[in-house]
Amino acid sequence: MRAERERPWWYLAPAAALLGVVTAYPLGHVLWLSLEQRSVLDPAPPRFIGLDNYLRLAADERFWNALGNTLYFVVVSVGLELALGLAFALAVQRPFRGRALLYGIILLPWAVPTAVSARMWEWMYDSEIGVLNYLIGAQVNWLGSPAWALNAAILMDVWKSTPFVALLLVAGLQSIPRDLYHAAAVDGASRWTVLSRITLPLLAPMILVALIFRTIDAFRVFDSIYVLTGGGPANSTETLSIYAYKTLFQSLEFGYGSTLAVSVFACVAVVAGVYAFLLRRILR
Amino acid sequence: MPTRRRFLGALAAAGLAAGCGPQAPRGPGTTLVFKHGKLFGDPYVLRGLIDEFERAHPGVTVREETLPASSDEQYQFYAINLQAGSDAFDVLAVDIIWVAGFARAGWLRRFPDADKAPFFAGPVEAVTWRGAVYALPWFVDAGLLYYRKDLVKDPPATWARLVDISREASGPGMQGFLWQGKQYEGLVCNALEYLHSNGGAVLEGGRLVLDSRENREALGLMADLVHRYGVTPASVSTMTEEPSRHVFGQGRAVFLRNWPYAWRLFQAPASGVHGKVGVAELPRFPGGRSSPTLGGWQLAVNAASRHREAAAALVEFLTGEQAQKRLAIAYGFQPARVALYKDRELLAAQPFLGSLERVFATARPRPVTPQYVRVSQVLQADFSAAISGLETPQAALAHAQRRIGQILDAG
Repeated sequence: MRAERERPWWYLAPAAALLGVVTAYPLGHVLWLSLEQRSVLDPAPPRFIGLDNYLRLAADERFWNALGNTLYFVVVSVGLELALGLAFALAVQRPFRGRALLYGIILLPWAVPTAVSARMWEWMYDSEIGVLNYLIGAQVNWLGSPAWALNAAILMDVWKSTPFVALLLVAGLQSIPRDLYHAAAVDGASRWTVLSRITLPLLAPMILVALIFRTIDAFRVFDSIYVLTGGGPANSTETLSIYAYKTLFQSLEFGYGSTLAVSVFACVAVVAGVYAFLLRRILR
Repeated sequence: MPTRRRFLGALAAAGLAAGCGPQAPRGPGTTLVFKHGKLFGDPYVLRGLIDEFERAHPGVTVREETLPASSDEQYQFYAINLQAGSDAFDVLAVDIIWVAGFARAGWLRRFPDADKAPFFAGPVEAVTWRGAVYALPWFVDAGLLYYRKDLVKDPPATWARLVDISREASGPGMQGFLWQGKQYEGLVCNALEYLHSNGGAVLEGGRLVLDSRENREALGLMADLVHRYGVTPASVSTMTEEPSRHVFGQGRAVFLRNWPYAWRLFQAPASGVHGKVGVAELPRFPGGRSSPTLGGWQLAVNAASRHREAAAALVEFLTGEQAQKRLAIAYGFQPARVALYKDRELLAAQPFLGSLERVFATARPRPVTPQYVRVSQVLQADFSAAISGLETPQAALAHAQRRIGQILDAG
């Protein structure tokens, strides 16, 4: 009896060791670096400074600006992706001719590497020769004005990630038992009642899964913005990841850069914790 | 079957060994490793020079190792390896903005006997840290004003004149004046040209003097070019070198600020402005002087190298007059030695160089400080805020002064 209970640990050990090497150790190392005064260019050796980097973070207006940009990006892009993805999933719920083809087309943006599609969007956004201004017949400075640039980056993210949300929700819809809909039809329920009483509640776990993936991804947004604007104009598109990258890999401030990286990690951890709590309550 | 595979393996190993042969140390000889970014199309001429150096220094072998083209990646590579005390390379090509930081960190060998006189003053200032020389200038680069000879009779000497001509000569389908206004290193290069040409500066004798009347006026003009005079399109805030060169190269702008590389591209027969482009010094403010921003590459010696004297000899050889001349003839790069701009043979091969001597003589380095990369990040954001109209030049400069002050104090 006792031997049986102990045995699973042996099977889990390789996975645990692997996770330890590729996840826990680097994470612990970054946490340690975030407590050090350490810059590659600094002739003085690295030294432990406790929470000083975190105090600097709290007083750093560039950090708060980056956090604000990141939150705006997350809320707006994930909100739009969920709404559009849900609308699409409901629209293609019933089988029709060419549905497979439509799936294929809708998935294309998700399949293109982000750096490539960002370059493509950069050309489309060009205010002189870009196709977007040609289509709307105006001279909008999409990537060059502080008012538009972050929204332009959001639009690209929505274009790219809505297919992912849609696909998850299509799968979720197909797992809802048909009998419920037949029963609702027999009872003469309106379409709204069917949606709000059957479809959405039963889809909720899948919606939450989509939200978890998208929110965490959006929080770490880097490559699309790095290609589109590099954080400008006037830091109006500088997200936490961009700020951390510039601090770590351009200024080579490994200490403070790690503090920024930890702040991204902490935000993502909080978001993931909230979602995990909600998911457990829904599934109960 | 296994025998045959083993035989092939042995053959491959022998082949590899043979391939490595020329690079393996020969007896008591010295192997120097020369690290640089991909600088040239055809490495033949540079290799020829290195062969000559090897013949003149029996027992010394030089191996070139190329780094990725991205400047960020080169900087990371050098900084991380030098900090670790690596002796895997002896000679390195460094961007002009890195020298002070590397010098303060103690990573570069000094050149105590270097003769500074034959080089342009700008690069000499940039390779000097606390009175000592840490690298020798190899090639220089600086901002230029390109203009349309068919539309502009006399290139403007002042910024005000440039605004007037731009307004007259531009129209539908023809922009006035293009430059690089995206938030990136190039924006700092552009903006400093306005500040310096009005007698302004970022650092003066190590003191931070960013928030000055001269700088406010200069940055104000940059914003006015876009918002008040309308001679520069608002899209300048997304422009880097190549997009601005393309628009000008298609014949859709009167003036362009860019680096010397664009000249050859405009001269191509297929170029939309073939034969219509002139170059001039960048304009200035009344009472100021034209102050193009300096770029370019220097050669330095790794302080942790085991062959520092041989490495220094290689640097002196490659930055010497003959070597710079041959590289300039072969590649059209701009030498850092003043005398070469009067060299008949070189001018016959690269006539454009003749018009650049004055430009390089007046070129100013970006602030020479070990914290340059961090300083530049602040300048990029605040200059960008002023140009996009988000903040007044006054507020942007006051903000940058405060942030950079914190960086230098903590420094």
